[in-house]
Amino acid sequence: MKWRWLALAPVLAVLAGVPWLGDAVLIQFGINALLIATLAQSWNILGGFTGYVSFGNSAFYGLGAYGTAIAMAQWHQPFWLGLALGAVLAVVVAAVLGGPILRLRGPYFAIVTLGISAALSALFANLDIAGKNIGLILPLTRDDAMFYELSLGLLAAATVAVAWIARSRFGIALIAIRENEDAAAAVGVDATRYKLAALILAAVFTALAGGIHAYWITFIDPAGSFDTTLDVRMVIMTMFGGPGTVFGPVIGAFVLSAIYEVLANGISTAAALFFGLVILLAVIFLPKGLIDLGGGFRALGWRYFLANIERHRL
Amino acid sequence: MLFAQILVDGVLLGGLYGLMALGMALVWGVLNIVNLAHGAFIMLGGYVVYFLFVAGLDPFAALPIAMLALFALGYVIQRGLLNLIVRSALLNTLLFTFGLNVVLTYLAQLLFSADFRTINPSYAGANVTLAGVTVPLAWLAAFLVAVLLAGLLQLLLDRSRLGRAIRATAQNLDAARLYGVDPRQIYAVTFGIGAALAGTAGGLYGLVAQITPYIGATLTAKSFVIAIIGGLENPLLVILGGIVIGLAEALASLYLGPTYSDVISFGLLVLILVLRPARSLKLA
Repeated sequence: MKWRWLALAPVLAVLAGVPWLGDAVLIQFGINALLIATLAQSWNILGGFTGYVSFGNSAFYGLGAYGTAIAMAQWHQPFWLGLALGAVLAVVVAAVLGGPILRLRGPYFAIVTLGISAALSALFANLDIAGKNIGLILPLTRDDAMFYELSLGLLAAATVAVAWIARSRFGIALIAIRENEDAAAAVGVDATRYKLAALILAAVFTALAGGIHAYWITFIDPAGSFDTTLDVRMVIMTMFGGPGTVFGPVIGAFVLSAIYEVLANGISTAAALFFGLVILLAVIFLPKGLIDLGGGFRALGWRYFLANIERHRL
Repeated sequence: MLFAQILVDGVLLGGLYGLMALGMALVWGVLNIVNLAHGAFIMLGGYVVYFLFVAGLDPFAALPIAMLALFALGYVIQRGLLNLIVRSALLNTLLFTFGLNVVLTYLAQLLFSADFRTINPSYAGANVTLAGVTVPLAWLAAFLVAVLLAGLLQLLLDRSRLGRAIRATAQNLDAARLYGVDPRQIYAVTFGIGAALAGTAGGLYGLVAQITPYIGATLTAKSFVIAIIGGLENPLLVILGGIVIGLAEALASLYLGPTYSDVISFGLLVLILVLRPARSLKLA
């Protein structure tokens, strides 16, 4: 197993070297892709491993952004302290909300999470310290290379965390909850505690991504911070790449970000339409994600796609 | 008097909300699919009635046409697409209907543009005043259509051969198959009925609010909440669930103002779900 991890070092080195190419557009695309990949990877911790579909993780993103902005713009503290404040806010909200909502299952959980971002957005739009509806302006730092390396570091950390989860007792418990929560509870898995731990871990990484993004674009407001389209994108990218795997969410995020970037240069409606079609085709032909395609295709050839349909059709 | 007016408005609009949720509850109960594209069907129904109205037809005469058109669309989508994935994990059917919502929304934007549309017949502003309370006739008509359709659906499910086949399939798919029911057909017909009800609701919605390609998502969420309150078995209870939400919305905007309406509706949803855990667990 060890050598496979070493094989990743050159990939990481190439990614880390991108800012030295000096292409400003490429660096900006890179920051966005790395941050959305971090969001997908964080979503994967709860959604991929336990099967609890959250459409509310953008709440933690917004809390991270606001924590950073309030610390820097209102209290004149350094960036690092802002990131920490955002992460703490996200952990507190995850811990408080997680108790009641993680008891709900299936579509009930999914729909309840839909409301979290909207509710927090309304709350921050009425807070004086958060600049109400207008938002906050952060101190300007023109150093895209720094933001790029920070984002890459955060994605790497989130991926290491997921890799650890995948091989640990903790991860096995999460997967047991996904496969059959009642059976898992019967063999002594304290499901609520594990789910809460997964949610809090996801909240931390998501909040850090929100904080980095806030400092990078130097301006935040309620609508842009608690952005529900982010929820949609992180779920789709994870599902497309392969939920419950270590590299699936990252691959899904990179591939879809690149395609979206190309299409959005043309017509944005076409890009959105394409996103919808990708979901439809992926659920029918690739229900286990892009990451399963290699092995499945080698074993079955083109029949891999038909086998996927055969398994799930009526 | 203001209070009575708010109550009447809430009840009338709530009936329409109930009709919106009716199709979602039916599909959820029978097929075990939470259709996130349900709001998009409502939106499409609104456009069908709008364009027929622009062509010179009375909106209420256009409703049956919207119903048929959406039934056909729903039937084809279930038969050709959803039946392919209906046995996979709940996450996948959620994701699929979500993708369907995206595709329908942006197709509508390409075809119909993002302009706001209202269905505005000559009698749109007409109302009667009863004991100081103003009742808009269009709202009253929408409410009556909603109750009528819920009653008809109840009758169909209780009394007809098709209704028995639908209920049997919902209870036990394999047993129904043994008795000669073709589940593919029943699923497609049920999904078609759900879409037809959504389409009718959309046409009526165009009489009381504006239609854009993007109204689907919020209407889906609203329908979902109402389906939970009203349950999945009894159509008339779903209408009642709609009235509860309509009243809650009207009262919240009266006493708290519209600023916190998202916080209120989210809080209400969490409260309802957490206080009724047994039911949520059973259905999940």
